[in-house]
Amino acid sequence: MWRLIATRLAAFVPTVLATSLVLFVTVNVVPGSAAKAALGIDATAQAIARFEHEQGLDRPLHVQYLDWLGKAVRGDFGTSFQNHLPVGPELVSRLPVTLELAILAFLIANAIAVPLGALAAYHHQQRLDSVISVFATVLGAVPSFWLATVLILILALTVKVLPAGGYVPFAENPAKNVSLFIMPALSLGLVSSALLLRVMRAKMIEVLSSDYIHTALAKGAAPNVVIWRHALQNALITFLTVGAVEFGWLFGGVVIIEDIFLLPGVGQLVLVGIINRDYPVLLASALTVTVVVLAANMVVDLVAAVLDPRQVHARSRA
Amino acid sequence: MSVQLAQRERHWVGRSAVHWRRFRLLLIGGCLVGLVVLSAIFADVISPYSPYDIDVAIKLQPPNRAHWLGTDEFGRDVLSRVIHAARISVKVAAVAVSVGLIGGGVIGIAAGYFGGPVDMVLMRFMELLFSFPAILLAIVLMAVLGTSILNAMTAIGIIFIPGFSRLARAATQDVLRQQYIEAAHTIGMSDVRILTREILPNIITPLFVEAMAAFAYAVLLESSLSFLGLGAQPPEPSWGNMLNTGRGFMDQAPWLGVVPGMAMLIGVLGFNLLGDGLRDVFDPRLREAA
Repeated sequence: MWRLIATRLAAFVPTVLATSLVLFVTVNVVPGSAAKAALGIDATAQAIARFEHEQGLDRPLHVQYLDWLGKAVRGDFGTSFQNHLPVGPELVSRLPVTLELAILAFLIANAIAVPLGALAAYHHQQRLDSVISVFATVLGAVPSFWLATVLILILALTVKVLPAGGYVPFAENPAKNVSLFIMPALSLGLVSSALLLRVMRAKMIEVLSSDYIHTALAKGAAPNVVIWRHALQNALITFLTVGAVEFGWLFGGVVIIEDIFLLPGVGQLVLVGIINRDYPVLLASALTVTVVVLAANMVVDLVAAVLDPRQVHARSRA
Repeated sequence: MSVQLAQRERHWVGRSAVHWRRFRLLLIGGCLVGLVVLSAIFADVISPYSPYDIDVAIKLQPPNRAHWLGTDEFGRDVLSRVIHAARISVKVAAVAVSVGLIGGGVIGIAAGYFGGPVDMVLMRFMELLFSFPAILLAIVLMAVLGTSILNAMTAIGIIFIPGFSRLARAATQDVLRQQYIEAAHTIGMSDVRILTREILPNIITPLFVEAMAAFAYAVLLESSLSFLGLGAQPPEPSWGNMLNTGRGFMDQAPWLGVVPGMAMLIGVLGFNLLGDGLRDVFDPRLREAA
């Protein structure tokens, strides 16, 4: 187990470094683009040259990258081209908003996917299975940003039970905070539950047809106990791995949802970076989202290994 | 005689039920995709009005006999705009999937066929691209490339490359284990000839099936980019930018937010079902598991 943790950590660091390199090169690949973005397209060649010298953009790309990386490791992501404020503290203040949204959405997705997937599997090829499968197929095709719009129309504008958008910190007003997060989390969570539900159903069908389940039932174990205690536990391990990938999707999806619901998270910062062509902001926020997704994948991988020790042995044999 | 007839009838009904179960996804998906693709091709013919004609006197009209899906904030016919927007979605999806298919196919085949360091370098890079959330990568690429339909096609296409490359590599490695490849090497066939005459025809089916499934995601990504103002630019209609504009008028004209979303749902659902249906037909193992 410790070896697995060490291996995964050893792989995590180079992956983060490589993603940071790809993002840095992508953003800086067009010469002069950062200066033009900051000064406007009408900027003179002299102004561009002065700006590039001030920002250190006239140095070779690898020198710029190493300089940026060295500072980023210490939490210094530079200053915004627009408001000249440091990007690091801005990120730190926005990260909890995004994490709260992603975690709530993930919980909603799982709360729908696990019981419905298990139920569909237990009633495999019966009417209930068909109904749940059609529900998952249609839900999987719904764009989250459209669902968000429809939810606002129904819950905020028509029934008027929830606020259409905005943000209040949890510490300041917990009830208001939760009410503001319900619709954004539902928009992401409902769509995300579709894939998880299909995975859960498929895995449960596989587990329920295995010998040890038949043996347990033959020995007189109650079906409920067999499903929820024996089958579900095994199905959840595969489910968890897919769940990590889905968490990555959720975290990517927050960019649009935060914009719709006016949530001041990292996703909104990515958009601010793009709209203002503020490259330090864009680079730092995009890297933060990517690193959180990679970290979530790594943690889930380790949790799955703890739950299913066969994975550890399989990996050590490989 | 009547017993035989009844048996034949029951057999026919049973066989039809099996066929229906087997092909229902393909059929439903095909119909929905047909609707979207035909709308895109014949948009100029079937649209009741021009999607660009402004008439502020009839702005924000609810659905009525003259304008079946109502009018927008400039008095433009929403139905005509939704139909023309299908063209953008299909065009972007087709080009993006082709970019992903060709790029990923070439990389995957090269990695699978040559193996060793070529495989290692190419696939590590693909894994790296895979580690970014797709929509985030698309947004960053659009920020760098600039906002236009062509750049949206390129950005979405780049996102698809890693997925196609993994599939092409695995399929190539499967084919390489076959005896006829060994025979081809033995008779002195060149690498290019083996790749084009022996390997490519044998891996094209899974790639094609994956391409159909990728279409749905491409439609969704294009709509997301246009929604954020990074794809199709107004007044050119796109489901994404129509929805983005429409949500500003949700309290007065809810159809502006609902209609483009329904169109997106039909497009994405259609391509999803078609992809699933093709997979069921071409891969019997998956069909049995479902």
